[in-house]
Amino acid sequence: MATISRRDFLKMGGAAAAALAAGQLVSAPVARAAREAGYLNAQGDGEIPTLCEMCVWRCGLLAKVRDGKIVKLDGNPEQPHSKGKLCPRGQAGLATTYDPDRVLTPLIRVGKRGEGKFRQASWEEAIDIVAWNMLEIKQKYGPEAMIFSSTHNLSQVQFENILQAYGSPNYGTQRSLCFNAMIVANQMTYGMEEPARSYAGVKYILLTGRNLAEAISNSETGELIDAIGNGAKMVYIDPRFTKTAGKADEWIPIRPGTDLAFHLALLNIIISEELYNKDFVSKYTTGFDELAASIGEYTPEWAAEITGVKAETIRRVAKEFTDAAPNALAHNGWRTSNFVNSFQTQRAITILNALVGNWGVTMFPKGGEESGGLGKPPQPPYPRTSALRMDGVPWKYPFVPLKLGVFQELRDNILKDDPYVAHGWFISRQNPIQSIPDRKKTLQAFAKMDFIASVDVIMNDSSWFADVVLPEASYLERYDPLMPLGARAFIRQPVIEPQGDTKSALWIFKHLGERLGIGDFFQYEDEVDYLNQQLAPTGVSLDEVRARGYVEFPEGEADPYKWNTPSGKIEIKSSTLGNAGYADLPVWEEPPAPKDGEFYLLTGKDARQTQFGTQNNMLLRKYDDEPRIWMNSKSASALGLANDDLVEVTSEVGKIKVHLEVTEAIRPDCVYMTPGFGHYSMGLHTAYALGASDSDIHVTYTDPVSGSQALSQTFVTVRKA
Amino acid sequence: MTIKHHAYLFDATRCIDCRACMISCSVENKIEMDKTRIWVAGIGIKGEYPDLQRGTMVYHCMHCLHPDCMSACPVRAYTQAEDGPVTYNPDLCIGCRYCMNACPFGVPHFDYDKGLAEGAFIDKCTFCPQRIYNDQKPACVGTCPTDALEYGEREELIKRAHERIAAHPDKYIDHVYGEFENGGTSYLILSHIPFSELGLPNLPETPVNAVSEKVMALTIPFALGWGAVLSGVAAGVAMHEKKKQAAAEKDIVPAGESEASK
Repeated sequence: MATISRRDFLKMGGAAAAALAAGQLVSAPVARAAREAGYLNAQGDGEIPTLCEMCVWRCGLLAKVRDGKIVKLDGNPEQPHSKGKLCPRGQAGLATTYDPDRVLTPLIRVGKRGEGKFRQASWEEAIDIVAWNMLEIKQKYGPEAMIFSSTHNLSQVQFENILQAYGSPNYGTQRSLCFNAMIVANQMTYGMEEPARSYAGVKYILLTGRNLAEAISNSETGELIDAIGNGAKMVYIDPRFTKTAGKADEWIPIRPGTDLAFHLALLNIIISEELYNKDFVSKYTTGFDELAASIGEYTPEWAAEITGVKAETIRRVAKEFTDAAPNALAHNGWRTSNFVNSFQTQRAITILNALVGNWGVTMFPKGGEESGGLGKPPQPPYPRTSALRMDGVPWKYPFVPLKLGVFQELRDNILKDDPYVAHGWFISRQNPIQSIPDRKKTLQAFAKMDFIASVDVIMNDSSWFADVVLPEASYLERYDPLMPLGARAFIRQPVIEPQGDTKSALWIFKHLGERLGIGDFFQYEDEVDYLNQQLAPTGVSLDEVRARGYVEFPEGEADPYKWNTPSGKIEIKSSTLGNAGYADLPVWEEPPAPKDGEFYLLTGKDARQTQFGTQNNMLLRKYDDEPRIWMNSKSASALGLANDDLVEVTSEVGKIKVHLEVTEAIRPDCVYMTPGFGHYSMGLHTAYALGASDSDIHVTYTDPVSGSQALSQTFVTVRKA
Repeated sequence: MTIKHHAYLFDATRCIDCRACMISCSVENKIEMDKTRIWVAGIGIKGEYPDLQRGTMVYHCMHCLHPDCMSACPVRAYTQAEDGPVTYNPDLCIGCRYCMNACPFGVPHFDYDKGLAEGAFIDKCTFCPQRIYNDQKPACVGTCPTDALEYGEREELIKRAHERIAAHPDKYIDHVYGEFENGGTSYLILSHIPFSELGLPNLPETPVNAVSEKVMALTIPFALGWGAVLSGVAAGVAMHEKKKQAAAEKDIVPAGESEASK
């Protein structure tokens, strides 16, 4: 009766480098700090509250320590992102900390770049080399010749201190490869990055590509399933029959790139049939009349042609959505960088929500991650940076926040020396070689650099190609700055001592800053002092926070019906966009489509993996599926391909070989692969050469408004390898 | 005072096949990388594009009220606690694998890596005694992000299951699998797709072993002797099978056979 048989397990065991029991991976050092703080008994046993870092949702953990080793992670019931539960990645976290492939000392490259030959070094030597190279680049070419990139994490504020105090404008984050379109659309419409959503009492949920059952945001996924269990209707729009589609009352396998047409038609019906919330619209929004005047051409019949969804289905969904309002919710999705028209799609979804007046019912204001309740170390003002950013923000992309950036354009302009030559790259907790589309180009950009340093926990591909690797302690071994969440701030604290000679990001950035002559920007003695300075205004002691896992402070009362837009209202018509000469109302933009014989290349999520850094986790490998490329059975038989065939997938920028998964769960004009596989680094013994990399074949296209990489706008041919 | 009967309730309409339960169990119970005590079963993806359906079930030992493994065991290596958990004692096991044949759910698994040398023949779910007797839910239940798995007292869970069906009769098959099957199990299942499609056997309410136990009572002395002989044979066969299987996976011919096969 099992669909995963014992034989499959043996196969998976073969994929993992070694057959070890989870508890026997690497012998762990004694949890000294925890023991000294009195959380462990004389035998070294205890449960320590901390925060997960297997994705960016940051669930609360209770780490069970026995005899100085982490033996189990459980969800912390006190923390709203976990509510006592963990997803598969969170459960597998200790296999990341005890990964035999951990980098345990600073490494200096001795072979050619990418050859993987390094020698061990002391921290003093490694940081000296990094600082010396960075200072030389600054002196010779100016600070803008140094590129800095990092993916969202709790210590990012100190990473940004290095960036800004050193004086470079060039900052690459993961956001343009993920959700720039959603963030910028929310800011234009609501004046905030992402409103909070509530599923309590929701009766109708429209998910556009938000695959919550596989792209798990622990608490939100649980709330969605609760809502469905309580009888809410869920309509799911996606070219793939994902596990979320399996939970939906209705699956709409829309033609890729046409979600905008679908939503414009919904707006058309809701306005022409006067199904909107007139009271809410007149009180809290601007630009409705202009929208009403411009939406007439977007009829359901027009959209049916484009989307492949029947006009009556669109009419019915509009009716059902407004019938359920205000207990209705249209979810923007998270990874919204699909097509160059994705920004318009996002704007249409934000407006759909506004028209039915679900504000205060299923959508709420949400602040940023900075909290007024916490302190921070003092620091001088940053030096002025006068050089243009290489990624075109804001001079080419005026609406893209500086903290988001346009990573793929940064990489392209490094290759073009436009508007100047880049000479160095400092990377922290990120794997750009795997994540930026068109990997060949990223490798060329790496090859152009005089110097590359990478802060990493394991030997990810970008570290494999670096000159110096600075080994970071894992999230179970270090402090990070406190994480504000509502009226609380949660702590990440070391459950065990850092293994080998690894250090926290707070330590690394402070010591690097001092060597760079910008020590004034790092006015804390150590990690504990940093947290003490954060806690100073609360009057709560660090010991108390460490024992409890969080600190509580009074939350500021803000008017939920005041939006941080130029008008102070929800802007259906965006004056900001209009003033800059962009479409101030959502308009149809025709996306490119594959030629005959080509397929849309779709990527998405698997519940066992996060982006480009978890594939080496042995426990996740153990229970994950084999990374294959999906194709509809009809398309496969037309091409004479069978399940598990090795196929060659070709786009205009590259070629990969990967095994085929023939399935019914995808449109016949699409293929799908889970991103993050196909690692280059031979320092990853579980993940090396497993599956193929989507970045090898992804073509770079950037949405001119939000700077989003259009990740589904790559067309491929498939043939037997 | 009545004794609490521990049980699980699995709801297939809530399961998202994320496999957090499998990893949680694997860590909690220090399961080797090539083994598991929880499996995924079900229809996977059924139908033809675009009329599709998904349905998965995770399952482990059902902790039957009348355990067939226990009645088939010639050496009393299985015991059933008064409060439900059916547990296996490797120190008493002789490796005869009767339990594997007896279990209608295919749960007990033979450990080919340990076998005779280490004495631990069979592997299966223990009900996490280290957790449930310390105010924690079993590892699989505790982590479930969607509450597809719940833990509690059997009577209470049966009540909850029927209430759920009554509240949303359109979402469920009107049956709680395990309430009566095989005389009742401690792993109860709610589903939107037929139980047979989840891979569950259609079992009578009378436990299979109500008859077999009477017979078994007479045959234990015989089974003891015969079991020992069989297990010797079985171990030999198993060792050979294992080598063959390992070899097949590595695409090589087992040592010792390479010459003969040329």
